[in-house]
Amino acid sequence: MQPVQEVYSKLNMVFDPELDQSLTELNFIDHVSTDRSNVTVVFRLPTYWCSPNFAYMMAEDIRDRVLELPWVKHVNVQLKDHHASEDINYGVTNRKAFSDSFPGVSSSSELKELRRKFREKAFLARQERLMHHLIKLDFNPKMLLKLTIGEMKKKIDLLYDDLTQSLWQKYLLIRSDMNQSNGDNHPAFTRMNGEPIEPNELESYLSNSKRIRLNMEFNAHQCRGLLAARYNLQKNKEMKI
Amino acid sequence: MYKTKSGEEIFVIDSHIHLWDGSKENQLNEYGAQFIDCFYDYHTSLSPEEYYWSRNKFYKYESDTLIHDLFVKGYVDMGIFQPVFLKEFYKDGFGNVEKNAELEEQYPGRFIGNTSFDPREGEKGLKYLEYEAKKYNIQGVKLYTAEWNGNSKGYKLTDPWAQRYLEKCRELGIRNIHVHKGPTITPLNRDAFDVADIDEAASLFTDLNFIVEHCGLPRIEDFCWIATQEKNVYAGLSVVMPFIYARPRYFAEIMGELLYWLDEDRIIFGSDYAIWEPKWLIEKFMEFELPEDIKKETKVELNLNTKKKILGENIARLYGINIEAQKERLRGDRIDRLAMQES
Repeated sequence: MQPVQEVYSKLNMVFDPELDQSLTELNFIDHVSTDRSNVTVVFRLPTYWCSPNFAYMMAEDIRDRVLELPWVKHVNVQLKDHHASEDINYGVTNRKAFSDSFPGVSSSSELKELRRKFREKAFLARQERLMHHLIKLDFNPKMLLKLTIGEMKKKIDLLYDDLTQSLWQKYLLIRSDMNQSNGDNHPAFTRMNGEPIEPNELESYLSNSKRIRLNMEFNAHQCRGLLAARYNLQKNKEMKI
Repeated sequence: MYKTKSGEEIFVIDSHIHLWDGSKENQLNEYGAQFIDCFYDYHTSLSPEEYYWSRNKFYKYESDTLIHDLFVKGYVDMGIFQPVFLKEFYKDGFGNVEKNAELEEQYPGRFIGNTSFDPREGEKGLKYLEYEAKKYNIQGVKLYTAEWNGNSKGYKLTDPWAQRYLEKCRELGIRNIHVHKGPTITPLNRDAFDVADIDEAASLFTDLNFIVEHCGLPRIEDFCWIATQEKNVYAGLSVVMPFIYARPRYFAEIMGELLYWLDEDRIIFGSDYAIWEPKWLIEKFMEFELPEDIKKETKVELNLNTKKKILGENIARLYGINIEAQKERLRGDRIDRLAMQES
């Protein structure tokens, strides 16, 4: 792989915390350049006003993911066309905490708390999207609650369906992000703290998660549209899941 | 007035309109330029292409354009101004209560002009609200809790000063509190667009109506939850409406959720003109049907009756408008004559 491609493969793993989609999917990466062990990543957002705290998280994640490449020594992250570009670029490149870059506005625990909150939303949304999809494929909802990770894996492999597989993989990823085991004997569908979902609670549990998923998807459509308008990109067709 | 194929007349109140000046001459700084450009991106990202305005027209348009787009070709019978001032971005303000009032005077019965307040202005702001309320007969306010003011990066409706302002509203007979809980309009970094404060304010001020503009997007999940608890909380559809064209499936899903959680008496149409024109929004809305799977899942209906409520009856109730009497009042007025001439 070329160095720039390697950088992109890392950027595929950086997500917009609010939308739970990767920056590459969202077209947020403006461009990448490399000079030996130095990497520059320029990114852009749908508006001049997007919340600096979310922008900061994305910039930090870009830096940290790209630094995982063994040949990278220094990452220069640049957010362009944003009201807080200067503070964010300086802060992230120089490893300052958000609270130091925006004094008086936020404490360091606040950003951590925000990350946690949005990871939880992502968990619920990914889980609901997967379960909703499986139920549409005629899986019995209550039976899903009885299956283990191992059993689920086998069933999904047998479907030979890319969409199901990718929803499953994304779900497994967020489970491990939240320190849940993906071992074969663990139940596949639990609450985010690992507690079981009771069959009689399933309907209301899912309708609650669905609102969170819809909200994220709705926002993602809005953000994609604004980005396309702002940078004259081609508009995306409606996504179907 | 929108006429259905069967000839039924639907009285339309657009609960969210603007007459703004975002022109270069009025901009104070880069923020002013970026703000109107961002609105323009909203405009082109969700409007059908045949409704695109030029950037220049969008920056500043005449009141005649507004009259034409709303009342002559846009089916609207009455419009409610929801001004935003942005005094730190624009010399003469972005929206302007006085200019709105001039239109109200020229076209009696066609407009309702709201104002805005900022509780961080303390006593001085309270006095001014009182002055405006009397001078312009104010019935509603539009609030931006995410707005910056000096060192403050936003406020909550539960702050002591905000409560004093709400008490003042009650005293002055201002019953409708429109709260912008949606896409951010000024730089913010906290969750100032969090909708949780609506919950407490709505339960403290049960005689006031809280219309959450843009349904709390991007926090619609919290909004639905609060709205089920508090019966004086309403969903304002501005910004949600245009998705009917660009993302019809998502529009349907959101409508399904709103109808399920709030019931049909608490959902209110608004175009957010001039970001989007009511003509196409209303045409598409009247044609719109919920897909079968959503109907089945949510067990809700979006029929003609529901649409009538959303397009006018619900907000009419909040502003004390008797639709039949208002129709009589407006019959043959300047705008009615203008519309006749054109058709």
